[in-house]
Amino acid sequence: MLFRVDPSSPVPLGDQIAACVRRAVSDGSVAPGERLPAARALADSLGVNVHTALRGYQRLREEGLIELRRGRGAVVTAGASPHRARLLEGVRAVVAEARELGMTEGDLLDLVRAELKA
Amino acid sequence: MNRTKLGRAFLAALPFLIALILALVLAVTLADRLPARMASHFSASGDANGHMDRGAFLLTTVLIMALLGALWAWMAARGRFPGRSYDGFAAAGYAMAAFFGYLTTATLLLNVDVSDSGPEASFTMWHLVGACGAAAVAAALGLCAARLLPPSPDEPKSSGQDGARISLTDGEVAGWARSATSWWLPLTAGATAAVGVALMVAMGPAAGVPLLVIGVLILTFARPNVTVDRRGLTVSGLLPWPRVRIPLERIEGATSQDVNALSEYGGWGYRFRPTGSGVIIRSGEAIVATLESGRHFAVTVDDSATGAALLNTLVDRRRGRH
Repeated sequence: MLFRVDPSSPVPLGDQIAACVRRAVSDGSVAPGERLPAARALADSLGVNVHTALRGYQRLREEGLIELRRGRGAVVTAGASPHRARLLEGVRAVVAEARELGMTEGDLLDLVRAELKA
Repeated sequence: MNRTKLGRAFLAALPFLIALILALVLAVTLADRLPARMASHFSASGDANGHMDRGAFLLTTVLIMALLGALWAWMAARGRFPGRSYDGFAAAGYAMAAFFGYLTTATLLLNVDVSDSGPEASFTMWHLVGACGAAAVAAALGLCAARLLPPSPDEPKSSGQDGARISLTDGEVAGWARSATSWWLPLTAGATAAVGVALMVAMGPAAGVPLLVIGVLILTFARPNVTVDRRGLTVSGLLPWPRVRIPLERIEGATSQDVNALSEYGGWGYRFRPTGSGVIIRSGEAIVATLESGRHFAVTVDDSATGAALLNTLVDRRRGRH
């Protein structure tokens, strides 16, 4: 898969790496079960720190898009559908907008809960 | 199949056919002077250390020659040989046929009048020199014969500048990576290592260790990774080394093409051809890079279009053309 990062952008590099994978899953260019390069190999390839690459991968693991296994690198999970990736992108957008409005975590969660009950 | 291709296939198969007929004629005329169990394998000092049934020996010879001849004919008919690249391919076939033909003939002659119980046939290392000499002479003959055929038109010179691109902003760093899977690589690695272990148990460490090492080496390449980034085009295994890397400065451009392992590369693995080399683990789509030397480097991998496009973009950027 294609990774592209811009070191001059204000977005942290780890987040940029995560965004690449999310985008690739959502447009279907990466399928479940596909192996991504190991964090070290990815870091060498892009010329970034290993911890930066790992931070990006850990983020993706928290989102359930990849599994990280010792010695086996990163594998796109079976549940990583384009749909799920798009949902994650939506959630990120909502959180960013809430932050811009100055909402607290509680305020936002209340809104989400109200929507879920509706 | 047109006439040129038929001519090429015939010319490529010819040396194997000649070697085969020569060995068979010799075996038939000498039939009553050959022992039932022929010495077929020799140690470095020239003593026979392996024997084979006469029928089995001839069958093996026929099979090897027929298979090699068929492979060469098939490649000559199906492969792409721009310009005069067919000549080198034909010469290599002639050399191989002469080498095996010489060794077969020498083995047959050495076994003449050797009784089943009498003194063993012996094989001096000079025969290997003779085989190499025969191969060199045959290669020259093959080259001359191939020269008589008209050359193919050169493939359109694609400098790669017409290939696809990916739009990158100025500061952006990009890398593409994909791992290729194959069912036969781990199998081959396992089989090689197993034979190595068996040899080690049967004949001591010296006999088995080389095969074991090769088996392990293949195993690290069971799932080769193909990477395109600021360093160039890299094919690597599990470990950082060994790997094949073509740096960006040696690359003119790249395209995504369908390649055929058998007819274009003569098989699978790390292949060398007159027009270039390649890591070929299957037939199908591949990144084919044109190098500055005019040769090609191919690697079979899925989603090769993206890899090739990024390679073109990075080469452009390096040369300051946009």
